[in-house]
Amino acid sequence: MAPWLSSGLIYASGLALTAGSITLLYIVTRTFNFAVASMATIGFYVVYTGVTLYGGLPYRYYPLVFIIGAITGLICYYGLNRHLLNRKAAEITLMMSTLGYDLVLLSLIQMYADFLTYNYKLFPRRVTMSLFDFELFGDRAAAFILPLIAIGFLTILHIFLTKTKFGVAMRATIENPVLASASGINSDRVYLVSWIISGGMAALGGSFMAMAMTGTPVMGMYTIPLMFAGAILGGLGSIYGGILGGMVIGLTEYAGVYLLAQRFGPWVLGYRMGIPLFIMAATLLVFPRGLSGIPLAKIIKSLVGQKRGDSA
Amino acid sequence: MTNHDGADRLKNILMRRELYAVLVILALLAFLFLRSGIPIILTILIQVTVFAIITMSLNLEVGYTGIPQFGRVAAVIAGAFAVGAIPGRIMAMFMGLPYGAEYASDTVNFRLVPQINSLLGSSWLMSLGFLVMCIVVAGISGALIGWLISRPAIRLKEAYLGISLLAFGDFFMWVGHNWKLLVGGSTPVKVPDPFIVFGAGRFNVIVPVFFFIALVIFVYLNKLTRSPFGRNLRMLRDNDLSAAAAGLNIVKIRTQSLVIGACIAAIGGGLYVIYTGSVAAIGMTRLTFTFWPWAYMMLGGIGSNVGVFLGVFILTIFRTMIIIFRSQWFGFLLAIGIDPLWLEFTLLGLVIIIVILFMPHGLIPARIETMLPVNRVKKVLEQRQ
Repeated sequence: MAPWLSSGLIYASGLALTAGSITLLYIVTRTFNFAVASMATIGFYVVYTGVTLYGGLPYRYYPLVFIIGAITGLICYYGLNRHLLNRKAAEITLMMSTLGYDLVLLSLIQMYADFLTYNYKLFPRRVTMSLFDFELFGDRAAAFILPLIAIGFLTILHIFLTKTKFGVAMRATIENPVLASASGINSDRVYLVSWIISGGMAALGGSFMAMAMTGTPVMGMYTIPLMFAGAILGGLGSIYGGILGGMVIGLTEYAGVYLLAQRFGPWVLGYRMGIPLFIMAATLLVFPRGLSGIPLAKIIKSLVGQKRGDSA
Repeated sequence: MTNHDGADRLKNILMRRELYAVLVILALLAFLFLRSGIPIILTILIQVTVFAIITMSLNLEVGYTGIPQFGRVAAVIAGAFAVGAIPGRIMAMFMGLPYGAEYASDTVNFRLVPQINSLLGSSWLMSLGFLVMCIVVAGISGALIGWLISRPAIRLKEAYLGISLLAFGDFFMWVGHNWKLLVGGSTPVKVPDPFIVFGAGRFNVIVPVFFFIALVIFVYLNKLTRSPFGRNLRMLRDNDLSAAAAGLNIVKIRTQSLVIGACIAAIGGGLYVIYTGSVAAIGMTRLTFTFWPWAYMMLGGIGSNVGVFLGVFILTIFRTMIIIFRSQWFGFLLAIGIDPLWLEFTLLGLVIIIVILFMPHGLIPARIETMLPVNRVKKVLEQRQ
């Protein structure tokens, strides 16, 4: 695999999970979760702490990453989001509240980094996680394993949402909250579970992304526009759309920078963030409600209709 | 009559809240003055004026127009970069110094700027002209950037708009960080100092000058929001559908609001770099110039310019106190290797959370603004009776 492709795949699967996390939370609770930034960074630091202090491969710590991410989500729900949802707060208020939570988490992460530096003589402010990886088929193993984990996670989530009773209840709440609560579904528990899943997803996504980029305490803060770009590109309509959007954003960033740098020289590398943002802006210009705003059913219908007309 | 009494009582409560806030500010300032002397007070005052300007512009867009402006930093950057790049070059051009791409280069810039400074230091009239030029350049570039951003953004709604604005803001920072020609890329560029005439008493002069500029902007914004244009803004904020039905051009009004806001914020950014004396692109983060102003505004009360001023004042004092007393008050953190400066982020986050949960309208809630002064309305009513 070309280096840009393997890095791109790792990065894109991380971005896909974080974008999916943002989308999931948005469709269930109408909350644009800024705290995904710090949750992602927390995911990275959990893996880093595990690998440096207790050894082993990074993949060993992913269940722990999910659990800790879920706990941060839980705290945010009980401490903050629940009261605001009960109050029927505006979308912007919900967004600002998660921003506040994000900044508190960010300060805790910075303090934790200081703590690691001082007490364990580590260098947690510039980490290359791929050093802890092993080689597989002449390439970094993460390039194969992480997309597989992402797909596996997505499959489990899909089965959870379609086959279990609670998953169906959750989808019902997403579709029509009033009707769902009228038919006896506990919306409070649905919100709680969605915070847990999305917190875990965000932390897992962050630990994936750290395998492709330099891990720093502000890693999440710098990449959050891209996570949002992925979610918005996906249209904020379905989790799968968000995951697809994150994948597209991540891969186009790496592919685009690779192609442009070949053509115009390495100075392009500094503006790499512009590529996904440009894609997002262009998409929003054409479809102000994201990709889900595309009347896909209509287009398919017209295409199918045409085909019938041709055959007849 | 009971109605009047109720209104009066409400007004009294509001007055008292403002009074308490001012008293708290004065007490904290007195405490800091006794502990650390006058320089720290001057620093606080300068920061307050600069951030008050930026936050008032944010308030125009968020509080009056209802635009979720999460990209305030973009306009601030426009002003800061313009002041870092343009006025110094113009001076260099007139003085026969290199003013092209090499002006921003780190090997040339640090020798050029002292020469410009020595010329500025020779006459206060030229310094004043330079200051005015800086403000004008910042304002124009801010308005330009505001207009540019408003083009793609204006059609979006709510959270989509907020996220796009945030992304644009970040993008501008990266442009400044990588485009060496503008403000030196990763190395900071020095800004010629229009206050060099006053030598060591520089800060003593900066404070009244900045305060005057902030006051002019405050008065202007108050006039603007009470004008028919301001009523249009509020109508748009409260219900854009009914505003459109009433024949308002929504896109035009929102664009105007974004451009005016960006222009004012850019002036704030320009003043900030004049005060610090240098522009470093990487320092223009969304944390400092978007999220802090949001916290100031939310604490002060969205939609209230007086509240914004008080919010900026209180939080700036708290921020400064964390910096000053980090080793005295937070020694227990230093003992395990943690830098207490991170508490600034904790403070920022906690302020946002507490304000949202416990006082959603802020310290000074926005008042319902009547079209005419209350006294005149009363007089008219009396005449009718």
